Amino acid sequence: MEPEEPKQELINIPITVDVPYRFAAGTYMAKFLVELRDNGKFYGIKCPVCKRVQMPPRIVCAACHVKNTEWVELGPEGTLVGFTIMYLPLTDPTTGKPHEPPFSYGSVRLDGSDSVLDHFLNIEPKVEKIRVGMRVKAVLRPREQRIGDLSDILYFEPISRQ
Amino acid sequence: MSEDRDYEIFEVDQHIVAHSKYYAGRMGSRFYLTLRDEKKILGIRCANCERVYWPPRSTCGRCFSQLSEDKMVEIGPRGTVETFTLVTYSEPVHPRKSPFIYGIIRLDGADTSIVHFIDEVEFEKVQIGMRVRPVFAETRNGNILDITHFRPL
Amino acid sequence: MKRNVAIIGGGQTYHAARRHDVNQVEMVNEAVRAALEDARMTIDEIDTVLVGNMEFFEGTHMTDCWLVDGTGAYGKPGLKITTGGTVGATIVCAGAHHVASGLFDTVLCIGFEKQEEGDTGAILSGVAHPLYGRSMAGAAVGYFAMMGTSYMAAWGATEIHSAMVAVKARQNARKNKYAHLKLDITVEDALNSRMLAYPIRMLDMCPASNGACAMILADEKTAKDRCKNPVWIRAMDTAHNEQFELDWRDVTTTKPIFSRTSAARVYKQLGVNKPADYFDVFEIYEPATWAEMVWYEDLELCGPGEGFKLIEEKRTEIDGPIPVNPSGGVLSTNCIGASAMLRVWEAALQIRGDAGEHQVPKEVRRALTTAYGGTNWTVLTALSRSLDD
Repeated sequence: MEPEEPKQELINIPITVDVPYRFAAGTYMAKFLVELRDNGKFYGIKCPVCKRVQMPPRIVCAACHVKNTEWVELGPEGTLVGFTIMYLPLTDPTTGKPHEPPFSYGSVRLDGSDSVLDHFLNIEPKVEKIRVGMRVKAVLRPREQRIGDLSDILYFEPISRQ
Repeated sequence: MSEDRDYEIFEVDQHIVAHSKYYAGRMGSRFYLTLRDEKKILGIRCANCERVYWPPRSTCGRCFSQLSEDKMVEIGPRGTVETFTLVTYSEPVHPRKSPFIYGIIRLDGADTSIVHFIDEVEFEKVQIGMRVRPVFAETRNGNILDITHFRPL
Repeated sequence: MKRNVAIIGGGQTYHAARRHDVNQVEMVNEAVRAALEDARMTIDEIDTVLVGNMEFFEGTHMTDCWLVDGTGAYGKPGLKITTGGTVGATIVCAGAHHVASGLFDTVLCIGFEKQEEGDTGAILSGVAHPLYGRSMAGAAVGYFAMMGTSYMAAWGATEIHSAMVAVKARQNARKNKYAHLKLDITVEDALNSRMLAYPIRMLDMCPASNGACAMILADEKTAKDRCKNPVWIRAMDTAHNEQFELDWRDVTTTKPIFSRTSAARVYKQLGVNKPADYFDVFEIYEPATWAEMVWYEDLELCGPGEGFKLIEEKRTEIDGPIPVNPSGGVLSTNCIGASAMLRVWEAALQIRGDAGEHQVPKEVRRALTTAYGGTNWTVLTALSRSLDD
C-alpha cells in the first residue's frame, strides 16, 4: 500500500512561530486568583438554582443559564478522584522548562466544591503510595512568591493523620 | 467576602512558541533543489489548460487536473514587475529590516506570479512593467530566500 | 431533517508517521480523488467543499484558503471548520445540514492532519485557560491516565483489560490496509510496553499519524440517481461539557456529561431501547484504551462499571455480537483532523459491505460513530443502509 520512499532528497523548512498575547482574567476569575495570591484561600461560586459550587468561579452557571452570585470558601483539604504517575518530560508551555519525570499528578475535589482541579502531588511516584479517595491538602508557595496563578499551589500532599 | 468588592484588573502577558516543519513533497523538493543546486527556477505546465504555475504544484487549481513531474519546465529567470510597494515599518516576521521594496513578479513563461524583494534600485525608479532578474544567494539552503531579491535588468 | 442525506462516496489516504513525499495540499488531494472516484463523480459536480483540521497543528492558518487546489474548492462556496478532535465528524454534520436544509445537493467533506509537521504539545496547551491550568497542561495522555486510575478504582478493572483493548485494536488494524499501526501484538506485549503515564503504556495510546479522509454527501434524489449503495445519515448530535469541569474522568460521576447526554438524545430520536442490539457495528473515538471501555458504558452497550467485562468476554471483537472499531480505531490511526471522519467513513464502509478484510462477518444495517473533542465534547452520527431502518 505505502509507496517506496523516493530516492530524491526531500526538502523540509523549519518555521517557529512565537505568539504573544495579553489575557484578561475577568472579574470572577480575578477574584479567585487575587484571593489565592493575597490570602491563600480558594473561592468557588454557588449557582442559585442548582446549588452546585463551581471552581474556578464563573459568571454564568452553564447548566442553569443564571448568574452565579454566592461566593463560597473551599478546601484547602480535598479528596483525590484520579491520579497518574507521569513518565514523560512534559514542558511547561509558559516557561519552556520541563517538569522532571517521573512525578505524581492528580485530580482533586476540594471540600465544598463540585468541581475538580488537576495538580502535582507531593507523593513518591509509586502506584502503591497513591490511591483514589485519598485525603489531600493544598500546599501554597510563600506569599511573596505568589503571582495569582495555579502555580501558586506548589502541590497537594496527603493529610498526615492518614 | 463582599460581592461588590473592587478588584484590580487582572491581566497577564504570556506567549506560546510553536515549532513546525513544512514538508515540500516530491515536486516541491525538486523545485527547491533545482533552485539550490542549479540556480534555475522551475514551474509546471498543466497539460489540460496550458497554464504554467509557479511554484510547481501537483493539482491544477483551475481545472483540477493532476500535474505530473515530467511537465516541470524552466521559467524566467527574467520577469516583469506587476505591482510593488515600499515597506517602512518593521515586524519580527519580516525577513529584512525596513525600509524595503517588495513586489509581485511575473517570470517569463509563467502564468502566476510570486512576491519577492526588489533591490538595487531606488523606490522612485520602480515601475509597474519594469523588467527584473533574480539575484541568487552565495550560500543556498533550499528555500525561497536562495533568491535574495530581484533587480532591474 | 428536512431532506434525507446520504453518503454517496468517500476515500482515505494510507496513514503513516511520515509523509515527506507529499505536502499538505497533495496529501489532501489523494483523499479527495479517492472520494470522487468512489462516487464516480467529477469535481464539477460538487456544490460546496467543507474542510477542517486541528487549528494550527501544521503551523498553517486558513487551510481552506491555501489548500484550495487540492480540495477542489476553487471558485466554489466553502468553509473551514475546526472543532478539535471532533472536527471530522463536525464537518460531516455540517455537510449533512447543508444538504438537509436544501441549500446544496452535493457536499464534499474533507478532514486531514499532517501531524508530524507541527508542535502538537504547544498548540494543545493553548486549549487550557491561560491562568487556570496552562502552566501545567499535561498532554492528553495525562487526562486519559487519570480516567484509567479512576476506572480501576471504581470498577475493579486491571491493566490487563486495557491491554486487551490495545491488542484488539492493533489486530483489527492488521486487516485494514489503510491503518497506521498494524501490530501483531499480545496482551503480554502491551503490558510490557514502556510506561508513559500510569496506567497508560505506549501500546495503550494512539499514534501520531499523517493522513486525510474525504466524503461526499448528497440529497435523496441525487443519491438514488447516482449511487448504487448510499448510506443514510439518520441522526447526529453534538454535546459539550462545561468549561473547567473534568468530571468525565471520575467514572462514577452521575452528572450529565457530554457522551451520555449525546447518546441519550440520539437514542430518543431513533427510538433505540437496546443500542447493543439496534446497531450492528460501532466506530468510536478511543485515543486511549480506557476511553474505549468508558464509551461502552456511556453508549449503554452495558451497565455502569461493566465495560471491562465486554472486552474480557470478547463481545466487542470483530466477530463478536457487538463489534467495536473493526478498523483498528484511533488507537491504530490518529491523524486527528481526519480521525472522527474516519469513524463515519469506516462505519459507512461496513454498511456497504465494502470494508474488505475488516468487514464484520454479519449483516450490517445500522452503525453508530462517536468523536472526542478535547475529551470534553462529542459528535455522534448514526447511519443506516435503508431509510426504513
